[in-house]
Amino acid sequence: MRNSLLPLTISLSLLGGVSPTVIAKTYMSAEEAKQVMFPGKYFSKVQFEISAEIRKQLKKISGIHHPLTNSQFWLAGDGSWFIVDEVVGKHEMITYGLGIDHFGNVKEVQILQYNESYGHQIRELSWRKQFIDKNSIHKIRLNEDIENISGATLSCKHVTDGIRRLMALHSLLLKKLKSHDTL
Amino acid sequence: MQSKKLIKSIIIGMTIVGFAVHAGESNFGWVYGLDLQPKGKWEVEQRLQLTRGHATGTYDYWQGRSEVEYGLTDNIQLAGYLNTYSIQSAKNYTNPDACSESLSSCTGGYGVSGAFVEDPSYSSKGIDGISLEAIWRITNPLTSPVGVGVYFEPTFGRLKDAIETRLIVQSNFLDDRLQLVGNLVFEAEKLKFDEEPIEEIVLDFVGGLSYRVAPNWSLGFEYRFHNDYDGFSFASQTQRAHFIGPNIHYANKDFWVTMAMRTQIGGDCWAPGDAECSDGMVWDSHGRNEYMLKVGVPF
Repeated sequence: MRNSLLPLTISLSLLGGVSPTVIAKTYMSAEEAKQVMFPGKYFSKVQFEISAEIRKQLKKISGIHHPLTNSQFWLAGDGSWFIVDEVVGKHEMITYGLGIDHFGNVKEVQILQYNESYGHQIRELSWRKQFIDKNSIHKIRLNEDIENISGATLSCKHVTDGIRRLMALHSLLLKKLKSHDTL
Repeated sequence: MQSKKLIKSIIIGMTIVGFAVHAGESNFGWVYGLDLQPKGKWEVEQRLQLTRGHATGTYDYWQGRSEVEYGLTDNIQLAGYLNTYSIQSAKNYTNPDACSESLSSCTGGYGVSGAFVEDPSYSSKGIDGISLEAIWRITNPLTSPVGVGVYFEPTFGRLKDAIETRLIVQSNFLDDRLQLVGNLVFEAEKLKFDEEPIEEIVLDFVGGLSYRVAPNWSLGFEYRFHNDYDGFSFASQTQRAHFIGPNIHYANKDFWVTMAMRTQIGGDCWAPGDAECSDGMVWDSHGRNEYMLKVGVPF
């Protein structure tokens, strides 16, 4: 199921993507990214508490100080997740969408908002597809299992750290949640 | 887009120099960091510095530097500067070693020849010369605990010729929003505005921090520990001074602006440079206060 959808996902990503040479603040809405990653799948937006202990673990795992307070979460009936998160960019925040399939693997990454002078190459599929099928047992670290893009180091590093944090959150909390558990 | 290309062409033409290298977007007024232009990218930068205030009277030294930067590789950046200046000096020295005994004040300072010491005022402005610059980032503070780089800048001008080198060290914290940067500066210079050329060595430490307090905005401060030595050796120190002040930086994808000021908190002079001091301060090319404005536009 997962593998059969992969070519379709990549094709849709290409169609939905924008040339990385184009500079614009918003490339894709959260809804558009969700449809690109999970065509036709129904998600419910959910809210839940993240304990202080889990936050502490996430900070240790990811090294990120910026809190998860602005992140948004959607849960599908089969346990798939779609998450919109933000990480620190060079000048402004970078907003990205992360899809996690019901096996707990990365389905896809999309850059939703990017407003920097340089580093737009992180929107290229060749960079984003490095995350596909990764899960919380993988390192998800720049210059280890995720290659850097020269000239876009800060953006690559922070988005990679952000995805590592979300995959850790999935392992520690999200995979245990059902829709009726959420607040 | 066309206008950006035109501006770039004009400034490249104005510099009439090859490419030298200099740090890219700078959160600091005088401290150089390791944020370089990516390979193949250009940036135009304009700096305007004012050194203001000596012992008394008037001393304003404006220095303009128009710069073009280019990323030769992701870790080597080149730049070229066109340097301009404007000096207004009037009865600004009180040191009896600088002024004759009959004068309570006289005219002097960096850029002012000793021939004008008894004149009520001195004014000069024009194109000073050019500088070339190269910086090599050995380790990147984004991916290493400590970023290290080296910097080389020869200057050829009417006021002075100089070769400046810097060892740049930078560490980032808190999602790279906090930058701690230090530069060890070594400069050999020949001052050319006086009746006889003066050779000296400058050995400085400049350092500071900058914290991104909100998207696009950073605040910080920087410090300078300045030392001058007579001739091209460290045998005879002639000046020592300390400066400190704040900086503010705004940046978005289209341009960035940095403003900084620093004030002299004290200094000493020794022979043969003791005429440059009074009231526990060093004058010369330094002021009570120094102001910096930088504007950069990436292409």
